Amino acid sequence: MSHVTDIKVLFSRLFSFKNGLSSVRFNKRHFSQDSDRARQVTPLPPLSEPVPNLPPIVYSSAKSEDALTEVTVLNNGLRVASEKKFGQFCTAGVVIDSGPRYEVAYPSGICHFLEKLSFGATHKFPTRDVMLRELERHGGICDCQGSRDTTVYATSADSRGLEAITQVLAEVTLRPQLSTDEVEAARQAVAFELETLSMRPEQETILMDMIHAAAYKGNTLGLPKICPVENVHKIDRGTIINYLKNHYTPDRMVVAAVGVEHGPFVEYVQKYFVDMKPMWNLEDNNLIKPNVDKSAAQYTGGIVQEECEIPLYPGSDLPELSHVVIGIESCSHSHPDFVATCVLNMMMGGGGSFSAGGPGKGMYTRLYTNVLNRYHWMFNATAYNHAYGDSGVFCVHAAAPPTRLHDTALLIARELSAMAGNVAAAELRRAKTQLQSMLLMNLEARPVVFEDVGRQVLATGKRKPPSYFINEIEKITADDIIRVATTMLTKRASVAARGKLTHLPTFEEIQANMSLNKSETSPQGRRLNLFRA
Amino acid sequence: MLKAGITFKLLSKQSNNVRLLATAVGYKQALVNIPPTKLTVLDNGIRVASEDSGSPTATVGLWIDAGSRYETSKNNGVAHFLEHMAFKGTSKRSQTDLELLVENMGAHLNAYTSREQTVFYAKCLANDIPVAVEILADIIQNSSLAEPEIERERGVILREMQDVESNLQEVVFDHLHATAFQGTPLGQTILGPTKNIKKISKADLQQYIKTHYQPTRIVLSGAGGVEHERLVDLASKHFSGLKNTALDVPDLAPCRYTGSEIRVRDDSMPLAHVAIAVEGAGWTDADNIPLMVANTLIGAWDRSQGGGANNASYLARAAASENLCHSFQSFNTCYKDTGLWGIYFVGEPLQLEDMLYNIQKEWMKLCTSVTEGEVERAKNLLKTNMLLQLDGTTPVCEDIGRQMLCYNRRIPVHELDARIEAVSVQNIRDVCTKFLYDRCPVVAAVGPTEGLPDYTRIRAGMYWLRA
Repeated sequence: MSHVTDIKVLFSRLFSFKNGLSSVRFNKRHFSQDSDRARQVTPLPPLSEPVPNLPPIVYSSAKSEDALTEVTVLNNGLRVASEKKFGQFCTAGVVIDSGPRYEVAYPSGICHFLEKLSFGATHKFPTRDVMLRELERHGGICDCQGSRDTTVYATSADSRGLEAITQVLAEVTLRPQLSTDEVEAARQAVAFELETLSMRPEQETILMDMIHAAAYKGNTLGLPKICPVENVHKIDRGTIINYLKNHYTPDRMVVAAVGVEHGPFVEYVQKYFVDMKPMWNLEDNNLIKPNVDKSAAQYTGGIVQEECEIPLYPGSDLPELSHVVIGIESCSHSHPDFVATCVLNMMMGGGGSFSAGGPGKGMYTRLYTNVLNRYHWMFNATAYNHAYGDSGVFCVHAAAPPTRLHDTALLIARELSAMAGNVAAAELRRAKTQLQSMLLMNLEARPVVFEDVGRQVLATGKRKPPSYFINEIEKITADDIIRVATTMLTKRASVAARGKLTHLPTFEEIQANMSLNKSETSPQGRRLNLFRA
Repeated sequence: MLKAGITFKLLSKQSNNVRLLATAVGYKQALVNIPPTKLTVLDNGIRVASEDSGSPTATVGLWIDAGSRYETSKNNGVAHFLEHMAFKGTSKRSQTDLELLVENMGAHLNAYTSREQTVFYAKCLANDIPVAVEILADIIQNSSLAEPEIERERGVILREMQDVESNLQEVVFDHLHATAFQGTPLGQTILGPTKNIKKISKADLQQYIKTHYQPTRIVLSGAGGVEHERLVDLASKHFSGLKNTALDVPDLAPCRYTGSEIRVRDDSMPLAHVAIAVEGAGWTDADNIPLMVANTLIGAWDRSQGGGANNASYLARAAASENLCHSFQSFNTCYKDTGLWGIYFVGEPLQLEDMLYNIQKEWMKLCTSVTEGEVERAKNLLKTNMLLQLDGTTPVCEDIGRQMLCYNRRIPVHELDARIEAVSVQNIRDVCTKFLYDRCPVVAAVGPTEGLPDYTRIRAGMYWLRA
């Protein structure tokens, strides 16, 4: 068999000669120092020299200004918000009051599916490809991301393509096809993602679901964001459309844009979001009364743990780790104490014991100075504050070798309880400045400004400018921090743990170490005995 | 932190209406909605380049034409070691003083070393720029390089090495360089071998600074709320003491490329990580733009993205519908006189051969039968990607610094647009034929690699025997 192939090869070589293909190009072997590598193919000067005969360029010298956010409410209740911003590009998108917190009457994981299904085929665009080409015509990209209570569809493109991208946004949110093929592809993508998650040493995504499950047992914010394995094959087109019909309603949506004129934008939104009906109204003429889980988040506290093998970092001798997250209820993002909670979060700070980056990463925050710098076996200790519309959870994630898990959990619990103690003037000043600069640095990026506008308008109907928050941060005092921390510490703890958990202290022990009640029996101040266990 | 090779990124932001070189002449002028990049060269040769967007925050940094490529096998690792010593105190201030100063301003100080560049930068509120420039000047001129800190930092770097080793993509790219540029300085890793890290001395560090931190090889770049004149004043104030002591830049020997392979077989790993590449173009080569377009055309994909069957890239469609790999990413890494153009993918052992077949099929199509539609789409995507990348002061500052070192200018937006627009189907075919067709590839693979075809078979996939 093989000699036959050889003859064919020979013939095809001869054939190629006959067809006049350059024998030099196709048959001579080349090595890297060959002279014809020096032969330049592209007929332009090197990149270090200008291309001749280009028109002169006129630069702008506009300065960024604290732009005003304009908001218009359309007759069906849909809110349109926009802000001007210097630059040729705009970011526009839809922010929807939808997410896993509303999935109580549905199989969990619908929003995970919706993320995978985003920017797919719609009534106007028969395939995803056609839609992407439309976006690409205007130099656009798109993206869909969700949190527990908000789903964001966003596009960035040349501002001159505003009408086209508004139409794309309306199509993908209100008139998706969700064909069986697409749902199957999404199912596969979700399954792949679950598999990848389980193979990775990084645990943050899974742990965040677990700490929310512990904090809000079985309700609203405690529902899983990652589709549970048993639901991957349960969710179908019907369930998804039923969910969309009830949640993607005008009163729950904000269409926002940054870098556009408000007038024309409102006009396009009216045309594509209001005058053209959602697909669920096309398919089913019976007017439905949207049914949404309106229950407030019930903070329960408690513990969620999973004894398992955590994948190691392949090919390295980094130690095996167990993870623990300890949290308490903080406040919603509309609560007056929200800013103080953010300052407190900054003050706790933390990060990896070994992380890239020089000064500025929060080296003098409490989790560094009191924990990571003192206990070198600890791998990571980081504070997070997750704030939602009606509640929030403040937590610290720590990772350490399994045998150190007992010390780790108690150290973190005590560090949390110490938040109600003294606040030094220098650390407060530092935390406030860092929070202010972080806010401004994040807002350098247009998509961040867009999301901020969309989320604020969705929650409150208007957007407070960055300068408002800068002032609010400035006002925070040590008393505010202590008051906020004390209120938080009256709540029951939430604990999530994953990995080898033999050495995990009991929930009661963790709770006792966070107690504010400094009675004789409480274990406060037993630091010297810390390593007794 | 280290950066293993800077993937070719160019400045962007689209200019108005300049569509084709041929028609460009017809336009009187090109309006762009971005501020200009201003450049001033100080008496000692330091280049100060900045773009003022008037924002309340800013990034300023030093881009130095030095990196592991300038090292020998004896001192390999010294550039990266110096980066670690930068924040360990100077003759003016102790490590703690430096850290507190930066932390209290809410600023960030960062550094990275690549094979050809060393970078120190600060991100801060616009009002704090004078302090930031002073700190940068202090750390590169007066670093105390105290012996106890050097000893402590050895441990930190060895620990960082573990981190790098746990990132298989970095491991594969280090192997790829080691084999592609074997016997030359580009084949060395940035961190250097353990034995060097253990013995690098204060004298080695001082010698390296003396040889390479020459003002003519330094760019001070700024973006955000940066007024050019004020930045120039600050630069003359803090850097005028820096003198050119070495008379000329050391002559870089060309780094020879060798088509070859490295496989590190480890069947205990679930997935194989593979990179395959050919020798690409140097930074300034005009062929780089078509290579970038070709690179965008091959694209990148990850199986949790979903919807791959509708992806713009043929390879992504094939990968999604045939389940060929977990993820892939094409790359174009540039150096002064050479580069690596190729693809990195992660897949299951039994998928490797099919994936490779599809990759090489797409590569050969680039040389022979790529269509106008594909090229136009890739050009559009490339412009968009480059453009949207420059959002924020740090990416812009980085772009200015890197371009100043690579091109000694910042390519104006309309020129870049015109260069991309000028890429035709024939141009792509010619350039890909030059760089890809019948070339010896380099291959680096880690993991269960048994299913990856032999080198001779991979080499045979680099040409087509058909008319």
